[in-house]
Amino acid sequence: MNTTLAQLHFEQTAQILVPSLVHGAGLVIETTLIGFLLAAIFGILLAVGRLFAWRPLRAILYSFLELIRGTPLLVQLVYIYYVVPLLLNLLASMLGYKTDVQISPISAGIIGLAVNYGCYMSEVIRAGILSIDDGQTEAALCLGFGRFEALFRIIMPQALRSIIPSLGNYLVMMIKDTSLLAYVAVNELLLRTQTFASQTFFTIEAYTYLAIAYLILSIPLSHCVKLVEYKLSTTRR
Amino acid sequence: MFNIFNLQKNYGKTEVLKNITLRIDDGEAVCIIGPSGSGKSTFLRCLNLLEVPTGGRIFYNGSLLDQELDSKRLRREVGMVFQKFNLFPMFTVLKNIMYAPVHINKMKYKDAEELARSLLEKVGLANRADAYPSMLSGGQQQRVAIARALAMQPKMLLFDEPTSALDPELVGEVLQVMKTLRSDGMSMVVVTHEMGFARDVSDRVVFMDKGYIVEEGKPQQIFNSPQQERTQQFLNRIILGREVVQNEYNLSAAPL
Ligand SMILES: Nc1ncnc2c1ncn2[C@@H]1O[C@H](COP(=O)(O)OP(=O)(O)OP(=O)(O)O)[C@@H](O)[C@H]1O
Ligand SMILES: [Mg+2]
Repeated sequence: MNTTLAQLHFEQTAQILVPSLVHGAGLVIETTLIGFLLAAIFGILLAVGRLFAWRPLRAILYSFLELIRGTPLLVQLVYIYYVVPLLLNLLASMLGYKTDVQISPISAGIIGLAVNYGCYMSEVIRAGILSIDDGQTEAALCLGFGRFEALFRIIMPQALRSIIPSLGNYLVMMIKDTSLLAYVAVNELLLRTQTFASQTFFTIEAYTYLAIAYLILSIPLSHCVKLVEYKLSTTRR
Repeated sequence: MFNIFNLQKNYGKTEVLKNITLRIDDGEAVCIIGPSGSGKSTFLRCLNLLEVPTGGRIFYNGSLLDQELDSKRLRREVGMVFQKFNLFPMFTVLKNIMYAPVHINKMKYKDAEELARSLLEKVGLANRADAYPSMLSGGQQQRVAIARALAMQPKMLLFDEPTSALDPELVGEVLQVMKTLRSDGMSMVVVTHEMGFARDVSDRVVFMDKGYIVEEGKPQQIFNSPQQERTQQFLNRIILGREVVQNEYNLSAAPL
């Protein structure tokens, strides 16, 4: 047992892989922050659209939501990275133009995360808005505010109390889901680890460090989310 | 102020308001009474376009609603007080009152605060400016809601059963504030089950049933010699049941 364990190369792996993972972690954090911000904006627009838009538009938005929720994130990422540029080029050539549209791996990754998470988050935001008594909107309208002013000045601040903790959980999920970006050639943690392991065959060591890296990223983040949740539940309504 | 012709409101196939024609003059206090489900709230909410009528015309000071006068401008002149107060729970009492003047009338913060404090004084809550709505009793919340509506300096106030959600012992303080408003000359339309208030404070009483205006007239006329059988039946039922409560809390005895 001791002899087999001694054959592992944790120290060596640490020296080469860990700096690379630290580098990748910066990219992961950046991607998550941008992706989450875009997802939140997209989620709010989708939620508001599904509640208040012109009826046919609501139906279209709902179909889009079903499309995204009915397919895996990984498939969406691959589709955005490989298929969408091909489709655009095809479309352009049908119109008589010759184009070579490409999308960078990181852009495809961020768009994919933002659209996918935006859809799930829109449902949380929608439910939060619906949970606020109609009387609040009516009171605002009767004071002379418009529909959207009532929504953003009066309803949203109250709805956020229930929305924020759920969105926090999506943030923690998203930072882990950035690992899927390896499949669209983003040089994040998983891809760096895969590359290292295939070159050195230090498979056990490499993937153990990878798992630890994700723990280091996600555990503090999920504690922050819990703290915010606690703060929100104890402050006065 | 309001001139209403053949107002109709349907929800799908249910006709809630049927051919309502009514005139409400400047400076008048009109009480609307009637059994539950008769369309009183719907009627009131049509006046400030919270409900969009499905037929007929409403003129406000000569302008056709929804065409010549949009709902936003209308609502700045015609305020509303709700059965459930609907104060903004995340704001203090003071901020509830100041919010619309600051954001809609672009009033200076200091002026708005001064206005809010004077209104709180008027409704007898000067010392609760920094409280949150959840810390107040129902009667206090409703008085804040009245102050909030007054802060937009409306020409008329609509009340939808302003005391129905209150414990009996808190009804008096709200009615008292409404009486003060009335003696200041505020125009109002009040949907109410408080017959004592309707009798003592209003200029005119409108009795609604099943979406129609069955009868309207001066309070003495409606309460002492109603012309329609439906009105009589309703009053017998309501007044007999309520008189006891009112005498007990000495509400209708309060002078105007
Ligand atoms: N949004 C709606 N959809 C369908 N029906 C409605 C709607 N709002 C009200 N109604 C119906 O319209 C009728 C009149 O309602 P309204 O609230 O105006 O009565 P009301 O006289 O104010 O009664 P109450 O004294 O109980 O408040 C009722 O039968 C009610 O069920
Ligand atoms: Mg009602």
